[in-house]
Amino acid sequence: MLNKPTWSILAVTVGISLTACKILPTQSADGGDAAAFNPDKMVEEIWAAKVVPYLQQKAGPFPEVHALAKTDPAAAGAKYGNPNKQANSPWTFTVRLEGEIVAANTQSRAATVDVDVDGDGKADARVQIGPAMRGTALRDSLDFVQFNDFTNQIDFAQFGKAFNAYAGKTVLSKLPRDALEGRTAKILGAYTLESGQDLPLVTPAEAEIGPKP
Amino acid sequence: MKLTRRMTLAAFAGMLALGTAAPAYAADLIAIITPSHDNPFFKAEAVGAEAKAKELGYEALVLVHDDDANKQSELIDTAIGRGAKAIILDNAGADATVAAVQKAKDAGVPSFLIDREINATGVAVAQIVSNNYQGAQLGAQEFVKLMGEKGNFVELVGKESDTNAGIRSKGYHDVIDDYPDLKMVAQQSANWSQTEAYSKMESILQANPDIKGVISGNDTMAMGAYAALVAANRKDVIVVGFDGSNDVRDSITAGGIKATVLQPAYAQAQMAVEQANDFIKNKKSPAKEKQLMDCVLVNSENAPKLETFALTN
Repeated sequence: MLNKPTWSILAVTVGISLTACKILPTQSADGGDAAAFNPDKMVEEIWAAKVVPYLQQKAGPFPEVHALAKTDPAAAGAKYGNPNKQANSPWTFTVRLEGEIVAANTQSRAATVDVDVDGDGKADARVQIGPAMRGTALRDSLDFVQFNDFTNQIDFAQFGKAFNAYAGKTVLSKLPRDALEGRTAKILGAYTLESGQDLPLVTPAEAEIGPKP
Repeated sequence: MKLTRRMTLAAFAGMLALGTAAPAYAADLIAIITPSHDNPFFKAEAVGAEAKAKELGYEALVLVHDDDANKQSELIDTAIGRGAKAIILDNAGADATVAAVQKAKDAGVPSFLIDREINATGVAVAQIVSNNYQGAQLGAQEFVKLMGEKGNFVELVGKESDTNAGIRSKGYHDVIDDYPDLKMVAQQSANWSQTEAYSKMESILQANPDIKGVISGNDTMAMGAYAALVAANRKDVIVVGFDGSNDVRDSITAGGIKATVLQPAYAQAQMAVEQANDFIKNKKSPAKEKQLMDCVLVNSENAPKLETFALTN
């Protein structure tokens, strides 16, 4: 007699927990909706809230970062790199860069400016100003972006490209294109340490080009 | 067969219970399963994995599934039956392979995947794959540069059923489509085949004599296309491939094909065996299941350093 209410309570509890369980598939169906994968929107949503603050906080002055990167990439990586990078990938560093534009290639759609940072008249870094941009340095500089969080390498790559596209659209397309030599450039961005490269190729997240001298 | 398998499993379980101090019964065996060795790429994987397994004191069981999912399933049974401690696998299909790898896992045999991904996580211990997309972007950037950012071109695509064919094509277009003066006049699949690429290239060339470049989803098709171009006296056409084979290396150094992209097949297979070893001996899984390995551009500057899918320093 005493047992009966206990059993019915138990049955109710089981009933509730089963009902609660049923919610889960709905959620996972949402999360696994590959058709809804929209990298451009994902980047737009995190850009101001997470990406730029992260880069601002992590970035080191370019001369310091690059000097350390050339002598001790692991030490530079520990300080300015993404600690969660893929094991065999080169380091990607977050940098702040300021200097004078000593050369510009705006003939190519992958346009670049060469910047002299230390004032010796020679270029120290090449900065991409789009519209076509190479690599995935912005994506690869972020410690909160993981390949394992993506369904496959296509999604991961498109997410990488979306960073370039967003920077291109919101920042770089507004930069001047003519008579760039002699002007100042101020950049917050990232570059990947690659061998056999004549100049480090920096992808900007923020960029300013000063007035004509 | 079934009895043997049961007994092996029992022995295997018993050994697990005894711990690592037990003498090697089947403890020493690592199974290495890849597509056919006819393609030097897969051969390099098998050779790399076998060499590393032996170096670490294992016996190696080298098998080929010929891109047949049923055969792959049987070979996994064989590996389980032989008491393999781990399986190194370049798989025969992103979906079809999931069940086979799960079967091995249920039998206590961990799998370490190389080259191709599967559409599931948590089944294999590791999936070490070439970053085909990044590699394709490298190849396409070089192609764009060689083309001077303009002109008509042809794309040869790989076997449609192979995930990597689609990934490479997407990677190529990801870069090339940013240049409106580059115009694709033909896009055809030659199914990774050299002879098929030769005949396709012949007919494409007849319909489009004004082409300036060919970008190919792999090296064997690049070789076929280039041979057809030479036969038509069109050595001026720029050809770029993908894989980093010795054949294309020789063509690059002889001034034929202009560039390819190296997939580190040998190093990848060795890395998988190292991770398997760590798992067997220390019960340690790699930090991440899915691991991407970057590809490297090969052109006339570094081609002489290329040998059997590895660059020497």
